[in-house]
Parts: sequence; structure tokens; C-alpha cells
Amino acid sequence: MKIVTKAFLRYLLKRRSLSILQLLGIACGVAAVIGMGLSAQSALSSFSKAVEFLRGISTHLIERPAGPIDEGVLAKLVQDNSVDFFAPVIDRRVRLADSEAIRVLGIDPFLDRNIRPEISRAYFAERHQDTKEDPFSFFTDERSVLIDSNLAAQLKLQPGSRLETSQGAFNVTGTFPNPSGEPLIIMDILNAQKIFDLKGSVDRIDLIVNDEAVFRSRWEHGFRIESKRQRQESLTALLYAFKLNLQALSLLALFVGTFLIYNTAMFAVVSRRRDAGVLRSLGAQRYEIVAAFLAEIFLFGILGGALGAVFGHILSRFLTEIVGSTISTLYFFLKPSPQPWSLLTLAAGIAFGCIASLLGAVSPLIELILIEPVKAIRGRVAYRGGTRKAGKIALIGIAILCAAAVFLAFSFYHVYVGYAGTFIFLLGVSLFTGFTVMSLAPALRWLFSRVGGIQGKLAVANIRKNMGRTAVAIAAFMVALSMSIGLGSMIESFRHSLIWWMNGQLKGELYVSTKGDTEVPEDFYQELKGMPGIGGVDTYRNVQITYRGTPVYITAINASILQRFTQFGWVSGGNENWEPVKQGSVIVSESFSRRFNVKKGDTVTVGGIEGAVQFPVTAIFYDYTTEHGLIMMDRSTYIRHFKDRTINSLGVFVDPKYPDREKLIAEVKKRARGRNLPVATKGELHNTILSVFDNTFAVTRSMRVLAIIVAFFGIAGALMTLFVERRREFGIYRALGFSVRQIAGMTLFEGIGMGLVSFLMSTGVGTALALILIKVINLRSFNWTIFYHFTFDPYLIAAITAIAASVGASIYPIWKVYRTYPQIQIREE
Amino acid sequence: MVFLVMQPVIRVTDLWKYYSDDEQGEPALRGTNLEVAAGDIVALFGKSGSGKTTLLNLLAGLDRPTRGRIEIEGQDLEALGERGRTRFRRNRLGFVFQFFNLLPTLTAFENVFLSLELAGRHPDHAAARTALASVGLTGKEDRYPHELSGGEQQRVAIARALVKKPSITLADEPTGNLDTHTGTHILDLLVDQCRQTQTTLIMVSHAMITCQYAKRILQMEDGVVMEDRSCEASGP
Repeated sequence: MKIVTKAFLRYLLKRRSLSILQLLGIACGVAAVIGMGLSAQSALSSFSKAVEFLRGISTHLIERPAGPIDEGVLAKLVQDNSVDFFAPVIDRRVRLADSEAIRVLGIDPFLDRNIRPEISRAYFAERHQDTKEDPFSFFTDERSVLIDSNLAAQLKLQPGSRLETSQGAFNVTGTFPNPSGEPLIIMDILNAQKIFDLKGSVDRIDLIVNDEAVFRSRWEHGFRIESKRQRQESLTALLYAFKLNLQALSLLALFVGTFLIYNTAMFAVVSRRRDAGVLRSLGAQRYEIVAAFLAEIFLFGILGGALGAVFGHILSRFLTEIVGSTISTLYFFLKPSPQPWSLLTLAAGIAFGCIASLLGAVSPLIELILIEPVKAIRGRVAYRGGTRKAGKIALIGIAILCAAAVFLAFSFYHVYVGYAGTFIFLLGVSLFTGFTVMSLAPALRWLFSRVGGIQGKLAVANIRKNMGRTAVAIAAFMVALSMSIGLGSMIESFRHSLIWWMNGQLKGELYVSTKGDTEVPEDFYQELKGMPGIGGVDTYRNVQITYRGTPVYITAINASILQRFTQFGWVSGGNENWEPVKQGSVIVSESFSRRFNVKKGDTVTVGGIEGAVQFPVTAIFYDYTTEHGLIMMDRSTYIRHFKDRTINSLGVFVDPKYPDREKLIAEVKKRARGRNLPVATKGELHNTILSVFDNTFAVTRSMRVLAIIVAFFGIAGALMTLFVERRREFGIYRALGFSVRQIAGMTLFEGIGMGLVSFLMSTGVGTALALILIKVINLRSFNWTIFYHFTFDPYLIAAITAIAASVGASIYPIWKVYRTYPQIQIREE
Repeated sequence: MVFLVMQPVIRVTDLWKYYSDDEQGEPALRGTNLEVAAGDIVALFGKSGSGKTTLLNLLAGLDRPTRGRIEIEGQDLEALGERGRTRFRRNRLGFVFQFFNLLPTLTAFENVFLSLELAGRHPDHAAARTALASVGLTGKEDRYPHELSGGEQQRVAIARALVKKPSITLADEPTGNLDTHTGTHILDLLVDQCRQTQTTLIMVSHAMITCQYAKRILQMEDGVVMEDRSCEASGP
């Protein structure tokens, strides 16, 4: 190794504490990206596995646009020579005693072995067990089920056990391995038809088709045909916005991490300035110094990246669980298994570390290249002309903010443009840090000199005159705090909008069976309707359909009931919008309208049971149930076009004039429970929705915490940098009569000062970030409007974090002060 | 005023240096001229701010003049370009600083060896050790700068400057940071080494004792170099 390089690299060992802090900063930034990436990858690969397992080797499925399919179709399929194999399926859910919904597949083991050989194998293996009293119990006992081995282990069940569910008790006759991770119960299709009251119907038919074109031409009228690839694509599409959000969050953490790397690189330049000057005076070429500097940066990148990969891998185990639970809550069941450790993870971590290090080092590298030996040899100088220089940098910041505004304005093109605009915005506001420090310095000096005396005053002067180092750390911390405020405000605003939406739309006294995948018998609906005191019962049916090749939802409701008892959030107009709905028109959610550019007065064409149906759109309403888009129509319209009478849940509205409301509500509850149907009051439903909402932001909260940790290392690193650079200066202070305690106090005030400036900046930047997230990113990602709502909490959390992190970050330098300066030390290194 | 010498190794003509870009304010050098012959030992005196260090930096190609010309061994320093000046420093020039400017993360040996490595010569560990031995630092090769006294650090700096056998050595107040006894010792060493290797030496100094070592004394006043005969009598 060249001695020039050796000279630079030895600093890392010489200043071990600082090197460790900087390494941890990079590692945390990389860990965020790796952790998030791995958990997203786990989710997607588990999802592929689950689809693979449940769909077996089928190439297509056929189903009605909505609701079950008549099993008479099976006879026709036998005669279709474009179909090699088929297997009817009943795909339903039952709830266990703890309310957990479990998927139940009703299959024909003989037809199914060509489609899902793994499951059938399990069935046949179970049948051949000699110990069984009745080898045909799977068919003969209508309560007989096979359960997957994971679920059996979880519930401590074995063959012969009974499993209590919302559909009564099942007899467990055997178990089967299930690689999909989703708890699964299998029963014979005839038994499933009886239990789910689907006599003569099945939910879908899985097929192996040998000629897709011929098959489609024969069956496309009145049916929905979906290939395996389309299924995978449509489920992936469901996850698109969610995945995008995960990526953005991890990139934000890396953004903060890059600041730290910049900080590290800048420190490397600052502390090597003099050496670089000496080397240049001895005849070292610029490229030799740059090479030595790059060796150091890459060493940091490699070590930090490798460490980040390890941290990221550990983090992914935690995040995978959260991601899986969020996807299960919002989209479909998924129990992802964490990705195993691989060298690729290590390589990715190192690559991220090196790329981010290089990006962060560009500006310091330019400074190093342009370094004038004479000035460099002079060593550390005070930051002269600070206000002017900070002003110039702020002007560049204004230019960058203008660029950010352009990107944000063009975010309609793609949400990535919006993300780019957000990052550019954060970069632009970061350049205001120096100017803000200069502007706030007089006020800070006044405040700190009163609180901390001379050391407080000197601390402010130190922050100001060491702007080269402090500004970057303040900017990194400010970005992290802004993220915290921005995300916090966005979540609070979203929560507030959701409450507003619930208060308008979900006004029923009681909701029977609130799960979308359960069913309410129609006669129970009729029974409730006839009860005295009931003002109205709204039937809710929700089905996923494909519109313009992407998944959307159709919701069937009772328009007249909702018109009377609810107050939807209309984009324009009021409850008069229901009138045309009663006549066969539809209303669409805001997300549908934005996603497909469908306006009031347009028509939407949807495949019904008798072919394509055109529905006039009469109004657009705010909705937060799905970002994929929702078409809402009256139940009568829905039944007319889809021949599906299924009801997923009921909203019960009590006549406002009825005197004995409580008794009536208790009676409805009693009757619902008598039919094994879950029932929730309005308050309980609202709370459940809010708790689901809060759970879905668990990932976001984790990333907020991570960004703060990353920034913490930034502040700690900056304070250590200042400390290392000013050893001699501290000696002079001691010589002038400063006590070690005063020097430690000065260091503490520097930390608090930096934290305070970061926080003050973050209040403005965080609010702006919240508005960008609400008005641009969320609108583009999810196509729904969130109404900005100011809440104090995110600011309070940021303030506490700022103070705690800056005090925490000061502890180590203070300890070093106490350890290093019992005596006066003025000597040069 | 021009000081003409036979076969000058350094020739400075009408040299101006402003530190501000717009040539406003006081110049550090105001049209100074100078010629130094090969093998000369020159002491350059002057008050603080008179332009001594500026002149030295310009001669080393570390800084660039606002106007004027510097020729080293017949070559225009400005015409050499950045790379040429760097090459000149690594091969032909030795520099000794007041504050030693040793690289703190390198040992005494490595600081000296660095000079040879930069000069691109075949790594010659023996040469570096000999250079350290010649300044009396045998046995201290593996010490880091902070483990050496001020005088020892300056000796390492001298060894570093002279190990590559430069034609010119520039010393900016080499004794300015040392006590009188150590300073005298350092001057003995520096001048002896330069005499042995026929190296031209220009020493910027405040210490009158430097006169005793110099063949030629120059005085710098308000950015102009003048011949000074005030301490000629005190020569060795």
C-alpha cells in the first residue's frame, strides 16, 4: 500500500470512536434499505409460493363475475376439448374462537389431484392410514376436515380432535404440509356445499387448458376467465402502492444515511486538509491524494455496507412480520418467511454502502481536488464571511426548491417523479441550514448565554464558526426530524380524514358480520327488516372484479337506506346523488375516478353475467376502503346484472323515533349471535377500523425510528468531529481558566444548540413534507384525498427526540472531555 | 533592484502577489526581483507580513503569482503547469516548515520514506534510514510524530526534505518553533547537509543567529527583497 494511502487510513484507527460512530451511521442507513428490501422480497416470494400452492398446476380459473357458479357448468366442461383437467373449488372462510378467519377449501379429491397434487397426496396418504376406523370419513362425515400441519401445531390439534369454528365444530381427520404459510382447512366439496349453504354451486373452477383462445371464445360470455399469470399480476398490482411506499420509506432512511456519509467524507477532508497540503508541498499529485481519500471512503462504504447488510438482515426478520401482517390486514392473507442470509445480501449492502459513500463524498472530493496547498497547510481557520457564503448556498437551495416544485408539479406523470421531487425538496431545504444557523445565532447566543453563561455563548459561536461540520449534521438531523413530523402529520391527518369518513358513512347502530369474506343469510336480513323499530337495514356485498385489466371492487348497497341514514363525503353534491343510483346508475370512489380518469356523467363498462354492462356514473365520493377503486351500486342493480344474492354484512339503522333503542339493539345482537354471526356496534366498528389503520402504519413508524437513530449518529459524529478537531483549542480554554466541567458544558450546549436548530427548521420543513406527502405522494400512490389536519403531537415528539438525541449524542464527547482533559493540553498533534 | 549572480538556479523577475482576486488592497509582493546561485545558502529576514513566506510559497510553486516570472534552473515555473510544478516539488525541491508538518499518522521512517516514494524512486529503505541517521535519529525510526520532541520532529522534517537529494531546499523559519539550543543544532544540521549535497538553501528566519550560517543575507521589506549586509560580519 502506498504511504499516502496509509497516512490517510491510519486516521481511522487513530480516531477509533469517531470511526465507529461514522461506521454505525452508514450501517444504519444501509440496514434500513436492506431490511426493507428483504422484507418486501420475503412478502413477494411468499406470496408467489402461496399462489403456486393454492392454484396448483392449473393454468386458468373460471368464475362468475360475482358470486358462486352453478355446478351444472362442470358437465359442459367435461365435453370441452380445450380443457384437459378441471377441479371445482369452494373457497370460503370460517372464524375460529379467537375470531381469526381461516380459509376453507372445499375440493373434490379425485378431480383435484390433477390440479393440486400436493394437497391430494396429503388426502390419499391420510386415507391409507391403517389406524383409521373409517378410511372414507372425509366423505362420509360432513364435518370431517384436513388441516395444515402449522395450524394443527398452533392449535395443538391432532387427528381425532375437534375444531370449533363459526360454522360449527369440525372433526380433524388428518393434517397436511402447507408451504404457503396461510392457515388452511380442506374438506370435501359436497360437505362444504352443505356447510356454506351452496347446494348446486361452487365458487370457481380451476382448469388446465390446452387452447386458451378456443376456451376463451367458448366461455367468455357471462364468466370471468383468469390465467395464472393474470392472477399473479392482479395480486401484484394490489401490492403496487404498498411496495412503492416501502421503497420510498427505505430510500428516505438512506437519504439521511447519505447525509451522514457526506458528513463522514467532509470530516475526512477537513481533518486531512493539512496533510493533503503537506503532501502536495512534498510533490504528491492530486490524483494520489484523491485515491487515498477514495480508499478511505470505500473502506467505510465496504465495512459500513457489510455491517449494514447484517443489521438489515436482522431488521428484516422484524419487518417481515409487520409487512406480512399489514398485507394480510389490507389485501390478502400472507405470512411471509424471512429471507435466509445470503452472500447476495452482503454484496447488496456493500454496493449500497459504496454507492452512498461515493455520492456523499462527491462534494468533499471536489473540495479536496481544488484544495490549495498554501491554504491547506495553514490548517483550521474560522469560518469567514459565513453569512455571505450561507446566503449564497441558500440561493442555490432556492434554485433546487424550484426544481423540486417542477418535479412535484409533474408528479401526475408517475409517482416516482413525485418521490424524486420530495427528495430534491429535502436536498434544497438542507441548503438553508447554514443560513438558518447564521440567522438564529444571535437569538441562540442570547438564550444560551443566559442559561449557560460563557460556555453557552461560546457553544453558539462554535456551532457558527465550524459551520462546515455542524451544518451537515444539523441538516441530516433536520431531515430525520422533518420525516418524523411529516410522516406523523400525514398519519394524523389521514386518521382524522378516516374518522370524518366513518362518521359520515358508517352511521349504523349495529353491523352484523363486518368481515368481507363472510356471509349473512338473506333470510336473516329479511328477519331484521321486519323487526319493529328498525328504520332500515343496509345490505353490503363487496366483490373484486377486473376493470381495464386491473383489480377493482364492486359494492352493492341499499341506496335508499344509505340516503336516509348516512351522509357520504361527496366530491360534489349531496345525498340527492342517491336518486339516480336507485334507478340503476352507479357512484364511484375518488380513487376509482382518479385512477381511471372517470368523471361524473361518464359510463363504466363492467362484465356482468350476461355480458358487458354500461353503468352511468352519477357521482364521486370520498372513500378510504380501497385504493384500487370502488364502484357502488344499488343491490337491485347488482342482482339484476350479476345474479348474486350474497350478503357480506348488514348495517342496521334504528328508527330515530323508536322509544326503546337499547332493548332493540340488544335483541338484534342476540339474534345475530344466535346465528353465529359476529356483531359490532358503530363504536366498536370504528375502533376496529382505527386499530387496523394504526397497524398498517407500523412499518412507517419503524422507519421513523430508524431515521432518528441514523440521525443520532450524525449528531454524535459531528460533535465528536468538533471535539477531535479542537483538542488544542480546549487546551487553550483550560489555560484561560475554564474548568473541565465548563468545557463539558460547552460541548453539551453545542449538542443542544444543533438539536434546537434542527428542530426549529424541521417544524417548517416537516409541515411542508406532510403537505407534499398528502397532496402529492398519497394522492398519486393511493388516489385518495387526505385532508390536512394540524395536530401538536408530531411536533412534540420531534422536540423530545431532538433534545434527547442531542443530549444523548453529547454524552460520549463529554465523557471524552472528562477523560482527556484533566490536564492542560495545548500541544500540536 | 536586481541581484545578479552567475548561473542563477533561481531567477525572480518583477514578482507581484495580491491575495484578493480583484488586486485591491495591499500586495504581499510588489514587483520583487531576485537571483540565487546554485549551492548558495541564503538567509531571508523580514518583519511579520513583509512577504517572506509568500515568496517561499511562490518559489515552491505552492502558490501562483499575480504577475511576474519565476525561473528555476532555467525553467519558467508558470509554464510548467500544475503537473510540472508538482513534479518539480517531488524531485527537485525540499521544504522545511516552521511547524514541521509531519504526517501525524506516519512514523518518522515512513515520513521520510514517503518523500522517496513520491519521487518515484525505487523504494530504498536504506536511504531513508541513512537520512534519519544523518540527523541523529537512529533508533527512533518507528516513533510517531507525537512521540518525538519538537527538535526531533524538525530533524525528521529535514531528513524528509533532503533524502531525495533536491537541488533547492526552502526552509520557512525552521527554528521558529524551537528553543535556541535546539534551533542552533537544527541550523547546523540543515546547513551541513545542504553544503555536503551542494543544495541551494533559502531560509526564512527571524533569528539573527541564522546570519552565521548564511553565505548571503537578504532583507524583505514591504514585499520587496533587498540585499542586507548588516550581519555579514557575523558569518561563521
